[in-house]
Amino acid sequence: MQHAAGLEELGRDIREASRFLERAEEQISSRIIGQKEVVHRVFIALLAGGHILLEGVPGLAKTLIVRTFAAAMNLQFQRIQFTPDMLPADLVGTMVYSPKDMEFHPRQGPLFANVILADEINRSPAKVQSALLEAMQEKQVTIGSSTFPLPEPFMVLATQNPIEHEGTYLLPEAQIDRFMMKVIVGYPSYDEELEIMQLAAASGTMPEVKPVVDAGDIAGARRLVDRIYVDPRVQRYIVDLVVATRNPAGHGLASLASMIEYGASPRASIFLLLAAKAHAFLQHRAYITPEDVKAIAYETLRHRIIPGYEAEADNIKTDDFIREILQHIQVP
Amino acid sequence: MKEGTDHTGIPVHAAALLLALLFTAVCFPLRANPAVSSSKVSEVLIVSGVSVEPDSLYAGERAIFVVRVQRPESTLVSIELPDSSALDPFYLVAQKQSSMRLSAGLAEERFEFELAVFGSGIQPLPGFVLVFRDTEGHPLERREHRSLASVFVKRLAPSGMLELRPLKPPVNPDFPFPILTAMLLAVFGTAGAVLLVLFLIKRKIRLFAETLDPAEDARRKLRKLRNHLSAGLPPAECYADLSAVMREYLERHYHIRALEAVTQEIERDLRKLGVSSFDAIMNLLRQADLVKFADSRPTAEEARSSTRQAEEIVSSGRDGSE
Repeated sequence: MQHAAGLEELGRDIREASRFLERAEEQISSRIIGQKEVVHRVFIALLAGGHILLEGVPGLAKTLIVRTFAAAMNLQFQRIQFTPDMLPADLVGTMVYSPKDMEFHPRQGPLFANVILADEINRSPAKVQSALLEAMQEKQVTIGSSTFPLPEPFMVLATQNPIEHEGTYLLPEAQIDRFMMKVIVGYPSYDEELEIMQLAAASGTMPEVKPVVDAGDIAGARRLVDRIYVDPRVQRYIVDLVVATRNPAGHGLASLASMIEYGASPRASIFLLLAAKAHAFLQHRAYITPEDVKAIAYETLRHRIIPGYEAEADNIKTDDFIREILQHIQVP
Repeated sequence: MKEGTDHTGIPVHAAALLLALLFTAVCFPLRANPAVSSSKVSEVLIVSGVSVEPDSLYAGERAIFVVRVQRPESTLVSIELPDSSALDPFYLVAQKQSSMRLSAGLAEERFEFELAVFGSGIQPLPGFVLVFRDTEGHPLERREHRSLASVFVKRLAPSGMLELRPLKPPVNPDFPFPILTAMLLAVFGTAGAVLLVLFLIKRKIRLFAETLDPAEDARRKLRKLRNHLSAGLPPAECYADLSAVMREYLERHYHIRALEAVTQEIERDLRKLGVSSFDAIMNLLRQADLVKFADSRPTAEEARSSTRQAEEIVSSGRDGSE
């Protein structure tokens, strides 16, 4: 069988370029027990140029995962704890008066880093959230009259606690939509928890993580991700999945019609494709298969589907809708 | 004197017969005027009665005209009526004849005529001719009689005429082409409908059988695919169809979710089931994935080979113990 010449070459490049990921995973796993799925999704977001909303109860090593990831990838890391009294300037920076030259100079805020951990993003008021989300979208920040581009790569990992809503500001749907993925951080398994406990008790300090990647590796990997081949069949499959969230009855899922109030936006199709490409890269492949799409469908779609009253009353989650859709839409 | 004769020379038995006839004539007088004129041979024959009933009727009605003739048993008698033109205003509808033995050597012949009567007023009954024959049928004598009986034909009232107006003669109907056409259409339509129903039932049964046997269904589709390939189907499209056929077969045969599953999910399910042709199936699906998603371009021969391989997998799955 004659393979597409360009794809064969691209496949070789991808296999070569993706080696650093294995080294990085090795470094991360030395400090993080379990949570491989979360780490995998963070890699995808980095390669696809997206941002992640991490949701999980406290104590699941969300911050540690992000910090370790940044260290292994040799990326500048900033953790911002969002609080109710926070101002946008606390994020983006502000103009500071200098008595030496009696002028105002811009002082860049903590957003100027490669990896931002926006901890408990829902604890800040809407104007702070908006400032962050605008920076995520535009990848630049304006301080005073000057505009400063954010460093590349720029990735925000925002966390929110699903059980504690007292004194929080829920993220509006329009802003949640800007996150490429919403990753649910779950509890570790019994064995993992045992290992975590032994590791923390034995050393008292965390193992050191060595940077195994440089900025050039990541930029090169991103360029290769862009070149990954997407067959029209897979493109149609992606659109089928997204459209099915908006019009379930039209795709033979009449039972979901009354359950879903709003389906996923076209941004979902874009992010689904980008994330699937990054997933294929992690599988050392130069083309996307429906398996890549399915693998990241939950994370990419779950925060874009708004359940209706009936679904909430019956305690049906968006993941249930996605499961139903994935099981119903025929794979090409 | 000659034996058997009296003094006048008349034979004794003839005299006795004559006496008997005279006695009969006295005892049974004619109801109608007896138009009798005896002579020669037929002296012994008597027209014993001429009657008609009813004697008064409307035009067009029928009268029964009866003539009774007494004859020796050694003699035959028949009656002749005038021809139809001379019979006018009567019209002979029917006639019958019967005989009755009166005494030794004497019989009575009864002629009954059914006559339709037309005209009006008094209409005398027609005369008739009596023909006498011997026992061998040779005519002996013809004797004409003029009937004195008559009937009275009443005029028809206007209402009566209306009632008796002749019926319109039946018109020969035209050949019923419209009815015939409709009947033919109905027959052919019914036949067509029956054939269509039979065809649909047969098709339904075939589809049902194929539904029951996924291997047979898959084999049929693969044969069709091979034919399409020979007819010029691009090999890449052949792989797409081949993948769909195999997934459908796997779903129905192994009861796994294959149509909505990716190759990796199918691989996981088949591995769990311990399918004997696992490697061949996965090899085929991976090849199809390469064509579908990685822009690989197979040759027609490769496509044919894969189709054959798929048929072998289906056959082995059917015959196998899975």
